[in-house]
Amino acid sequence: MTPFLHFNQVRKTYGDIHAVDQVDLSIRKGEFFSLLGPSGCGKTTLLRMVAGFERPDVGRILLEGVDITDLPPNRRKVNTIFQNYALFPHLSVWENIAFGLRVAKRPAAEIKSAVDAMIDLIQLNAHARKKPSQISGGQKQRVAIARALINQPDVLLLDEPLAALDLKLRQRMLLELDQIHDQVGITFVYVTHDQGEAMSLSDRIAVMNHGRIEQLGAPAEIYETPNSSFVAAFIGDSNFFDGVVTELIEPDYCRLRIDGFPDVMCYNDKRKQRGDLVHLSVRPEKFRLSLDPPPNEARANCVRGRVAEVVYLGAQTKFLVHVQEYRLAITQQHSRFLLDQKPIRWEDEVWIWWHADDGYMLDRYSQTDEELLEMPAG
Amino acid sequence: MKRSRIPLYTTWAVLIFFYLPIGVLILHSFNASRFSSSWEGFSWRWYIRLFAERDIWFALQNTVIVALSSTIVSMVLGSIAAYALHRYHTRLQRVHYTLIYTPLVVPDILMGISLLLFFVGIGMQLGLITIFLAHTSFCVSYVAMVVLARLQDFDDSILEAARDLGATWWTTTWRVLLPLLAPGIAAGGLLAFTLSIDDFVITFFVTGPGATTLPIQIYSMIKHGSPPLINALSTLLLVVTFLIVWLVQHLTQEEHRHEVD
Amino acid sequence: MSSHDHPGARRQTVAEWLLTAAPFTWLFILFVIPTALVFAIAFKPSDPWGGVGAGWTLETVRSLRNPNYPAIIWRTLWISAVTTVSCIALALPCGYYIARAPYRWRRLLVLLTVIPFWTSFLIRIFAWKVLLHPDGYVKRALVFLRLADADAILLYHAGTVLLVMIYTLLPFAILPIYAAAERFDFRLVEAARDLGASRWRAFRQIFLPGIRRGLLTAVLMVLIPSLGMYIIPDIVGGTRSEMIGNKIAQRTFVDRNLPHASALSASLTLAVMAPMLWVLYMQGRRRGETRP
Repeated sequence: MTPFLHFNQVRKTYGDIHAVDQVDLSIRKGEFFSLLGPSGCGKTTLLRMVAGFERPDVGRILLEGVDITDLPPNRRKVNTIFQNYALFPHLSVWENIAFGLRVAKRPAAEIKSAVDAMIDLIQLNAHARKKPSQISGGQKQRVAIARALINQPDVLLLDEPLAALDLKLRQRMLLELDQIHDQVGITFVYVTHDQGEAMSLSDRIAVMNHGRIEQLGAPAEIYETPNSSFVAAFIGDSNFFDGVVTELIEPDYCRLRIDGFPDVMCYNDKRKQRGDLVHLSVRPEKFRLSLDPPPNEARANCVRGRVAEVVYLGAQTKFLVHVQEYRLAITQQHSRFLLDQKPIRWEDEVWIWWHADDGYMLDRYSQTDEELLEMPAG
Repeated sequence: MKRSRIPLYTTWAVLIFFYLPIGVLILHSFNASRFSSSWEGFSWRWYIRLFAERDIWFALQNTVIVALSSTIVSMVLGSIAAYALHRYHTRLQRVHYTLIYTPLVVPDILMGISLLLFFVGIGMQLGLITIFLAHTSFCVSYVAMVVLARLQDFDDSILEAARDLGATWWTTTWRVLLPLLAPGIAAGGLLAFTLSIDDFVITFFVTGPGATTLPIQIYSMIKHGSPPLINALSTLLLVVTFLIVWLVQHLTQEEHRHEVD
Repeated sequence: MSSHDHPGARRQTVAEWLLTAAPFTWLFILFVIPTALVFAIAFKPSDPWGGVGAGWTLETVRSLRNPNYPAIIWRTLWISAVTTVSCIALALPCGYYIARAPYRWRRLLVLLTVIPFWTSFLIRIFAWKVLLHPDGYVKRALVFLRLADADAILLYHAGTVLLVMIYTLLPFAILPIYAAAERFDFRLVEAARDLGASRWRAFRQIFLPGIRRGLLTAVLMVLIPSLGMYIIPDIVGGTRSEMIGNKIAQRTFVDRNLPHASALSASLTLAVMAPMLWVLYMQGRRRGETRP
């Protein structure tokens, strides 16, 4: 399949800062694609390059094989939903939506029917004559989407579109966005720092850090098999271990020595050899926790620890458990909370076990990424 | 927490201080007596006398011609300057900003004498044209500052949105930027208009024979003329000022209502 | 900058120059050149017909040592200083009060402060001339209260000039201080009081630094017009209360000695430029800081 939207060796610097550094990226037609990362990672710069508000210093951007790098924003079949919607305050909702057709000098009758249809679609008929300052945040959001979609762009760019909304509304708009994408079927490029939004909406996600793409893949791929400590810590939460390979067992597994732990068994898709140093990431919910010794399972790792902190969160409980000098963050879902024979409390001695497949070896590890964790080590 | 009463008392004392002289002046414009020392009953006589003064009407006409033309030119130049200052952050704009800002803080008398020297130096006939040039020069800075203040609250992504939706630079300017800046430009223009109408010192330096403006006329009346006439004229000018202030407040209030939402 | 090599960046630069050209040229011709001219003509001799003579001379600048001038310069400085201090002292409580007033009141108070600001300078000066007239109300009230002799003259001395200058310039001090106070977060004062600061201490150490920019503008808006004041001493002052501005006008209109007027103006410009450049530098630095 030929790439639909293609970044070729794109770079942009501001002074000494590499906002975007050698990005090579292909986005497929019709895909819901997210650029995810902390603020300052270059995701917005990348988006603004597609819109035409920024120019790369080096590299080209191609849309359907056509080089659009030097086209001004008004000559690209690309539209943007801005972070604060950027609705025209002096125009009514109706005129805001009509703006793109008006500047394209379309016949009045066509504009009228298209805008009316769009207003029906977003269910704002009662508010068509109002000014943007007179409608709610969620309604503004819908007007912004309608205003961008009426031009039938090839690509819709969304720059943190939900950031200004409160939690409940954000969740509702998330569903609406998903439905709109299914209906119109055009390519969405979505910029966000919120991993939850990216995970729930996207076909694929590019996780960015310091102007580079750290990892590219489907949400589950990125969550389950993070290739760096940054991705593991930025998306969800994790526990990191340093270990040395002591033994290769079976074709795909190895045994690790981690200080203070009994031998740990781990899935070895990275083909590490004896004596190699590895960084292991285990998600908090992959651990199981109990007061009683665990049932005997093949390829399970088991250690004992002492509970240092219990945080009850309703749907789940977070535990902080000391195992030697490690502090493990562990999350347990409550399926039958009241039926649990004995709740685990502070200072309890507990058993912790996890399956060898649930520990994942990282390609890159950086100490500073620990800062992204909910409970940083130290 | 108990608050100090000093601010309250000072504010009201200052307001009385502000309005007492103006109030006395307005009162006296209706005094039938020639002298401010005695009250001889209410009268329109000074206003009627005022309408007979042909010099005043001639001066008013000059003032309005100068004020309108310098307001229009300074609105255009000032808005362009403000946009450039807002849009670009180069070394050129730092110099530009200094150039716009400095006339605001240079005492009138220095602007007056320097422009006089300039006009004399290039052999320009002193008159309404030189007054217009002088007024426009200081009005540009005021308009630019008012518009620049508006631009600081302006969300630039609105302009990007217009470009994004297919509008050219030109369409964006006419359909989005100018309508949104209009209250600011209008407020700047009204400020320029009142400043031009009011200006005495600079006009005094660059005026020539026959080019008497209202402040020049008032000045010579203060020096040589009859006080009750000035009272009446001042009262009329105060009414005009109130109207303009009300209009400016109205323009800014419009803006405020949007912010409140 | 490397980005200047791109055609897009070059277009930007051209657009910037096009936008800047008109206002820049206007002010360059009608502000920068005339100001430079003042300095140049200060070094020219005068000719007997009220024009500017040929050649260059230091004579004019030297004549500034005329024994009359130190007294006038001194008077200009102290009147300006007292005016500025008085205006700030009055404007601070006013700005504070207006900023803390409920919204409806605040609008009215601002309006009441703005109206004098927009009102003709000449009229406001003239109003005092009426008020302080030998037969005026103020005089009669003072005599009635036995605060003044029947033959005291309220007009035409330095005190009058000072009073009217404070009157005309006070709105220029209140508005910037109010504008800064309105943006000030008064919870900071509450926090300071909560932490045990006295009312005065909270005002001095929290509020004043918080409105520093507004204060700076207010000082500039009062001090600089004061230094160049001409019209107030001219109307309500006497010969014993003349300021530099009056001398410049005299040399220009009465003596027709333009080089002499230029020399005086040039020295006044230098005197005014010192505080102005300082504030501009501070604000420029701020501007640079807040911009990306």
